[in-house]
Amino acid sequence: MPATLRELRAIKAALDVHSIVAMTDTSGRITDVNDKFCSISKYSRGELIGQDHRIINSGYHPKAFFRDMWDTIGSGRTWRGEIRNRAKDGSFYWVDTTIFPCMGRSGRPAQYVAIRTDITERKVDAAQLKRYAADLAEKNKELEAIVNTLSHDLRSPLINVQGFGNQLARACERIRAAFASAGTGAVPASEVRRPLEVDIPQALNFINAGVNKMDSLLTGLLRFSRLGREALTIERLDMNALFAEAFSAMKFQLDAAGANVRVGLLPDGRGDRVQTSQVLSNLIDNAIKYRHPDRALCIKVEGRVESGQAVYSVADNGIGIAPEHQPKAFEIFHRLNPDGPAGEGLGLTIARRVLERQKGRIWVESSGQGGSTFYLSIPSAEPLPAATP
Amino acid sequence: MNRAGALAPDILIVDDDEGHAILARENLEAAAVSNPIRHFRDGQAVLDFLLAGGPGPHAAKAGAYLMLLDIRMPRVDGVEVLRRLKADPSLRNLAVIVLTTADDLREVERCQELGCDVYLRKPIDFGKFAEAARRLGLFMTLLLAQPSNES
Repeated sequence: MPATLRELRAIKAALDVHSIVAMTDTSGRITDVNDKFCSISKYSRGELIGQDHRIINSGYHPKAFFRDMWDTIGSGRTWRGEIRNRAKDGSFYWVDTTIFPCMGRSGRPAQYVAIRTDITERKVDAAQLKRYAADLAEKNKELEAIVNTLSHDLRSPLINVQGFGNQLARACERIRAAFASAGTGAVPASEVRRPLEVDIPQALNFINAGVNKMDSLLTGLLRFSRLGREALTIERLDMNALFAEAFSAMKFQLDAAGANVRVGLLPDGRGDRVQTSQVLSNLIDNAIKYRHPDRALCIKVEGRVESGQAVYSVADNGIGIAPEHQPKAFEIFHRLNPDGPAGEGLGLTIARRVLERQKGRIWVESSGQGGSTFYLSIPSAEPLPAATP
Repeated sequence: MNRAGALAPDILIVDDDEGHAILARENLEAAAVSNPIRHFRDGQAVLDFLLAGGPGPHAAKAGAYLMLLDIRMPRVDGVEVLRRLKADPSLRNLAVIVLTTADDLREVERCQELGCDVYLRKPIDFGKFAEAARRLGLFMTLLLAQPSNES
């Protein structure tokens, strides 16, 4: 007998080291807890004994969850599940829980032993993993769209290179035929004039343009892909200073456009200085490029803080973007006006990528006629005021 | 029978890529198709032509047309053109061949949903063009000129 008792003591001691243990009477009142229970729930033993188990209920599980638990153990069966509890300080913890009913003489449970394991870390990791998976799925979709656009955009010039290459071959054939039929005599000018003066120059023209186009697409793609790998240095950004720098770097173009620039008082933000200032330059460059021919360019920059994000607006009075074209404005290689000023259709795509990487966003509002307002948000430099309990 | 079936249709090439449009025209001409060909640089231009919008030339009232429609164009794209044609009772039956590249699978699906299922892969090959025209009931109305002595 004493040997058995010693053995049981040893098992209990080991259990107390390994697990969170509580004893509960049939009405759900706590009759005993071990040290691990106290330390994870942050209640003292005195605060727990005699209390209903609901003291650590986090409100996360539906009523049916606990009803099922009570039905199971009430009928003498073991219940097993994962429960999210709330500690005294309001923090949450997850426990893998086994509740074992100890049967009394009446054949009904006399008390319950609950043995729990802290799985908070696993739960947090799992949630994180789920977020990563969703992000990854999103990124994959984005990548697929990029590959799709790129393959189409590369194929367009390729069709010209192929087609006009054939035209070159036909022109050569015509000239060769003219020489062949002339024999040793003179080749009549009328036979070779058209291929030499029209067909061949036209073909070379389109082939060159196509090759240049493919070159610039690949260069742009490389630039876009490198951007995703560059390390970010997140720091406090004086956005008034950053905008001032960007405007002064473009002073020449702004003056040439007769631009009127107004910048309000801007809240500081947090982000990567180099990349954020690239975005600003791009927005200013767009405002200059897409200015309205009939009115002097006006650029107005304002800022505010909204739920922890610093939001800056760059409003111009340019040609605007029709509502149906706004979603496409950020697509890779998409150019709203291919006949307009030069550009590779990457500026806003890169801006969006840069801002997303530093937990920001960019979007546009435009009624179409009266100009566009681009909004960009980055985390505010000021911490959020403490949330009210 | 297509409403364009009775008359030799004008061919409307709608493509923002000037090179593609020139190649299409040259391939058709090389195959001795002598129907009049017009080129439009985007969807809006051809809609203006057909719906008599804008200042440019407009479609003849009883004119017959065969449209070669590129899908990806800036502003008003090929899918949008199709959508507008199908929504207009007077243009619903206009003969359309959608020009695609190997990369337009999703767009092709959208065109199919709009009830257009005649496609030509770029660059246009005359044999396939003739086949597509036949599917639209238009083959007999292509005006084949005397084969040129060059070919």
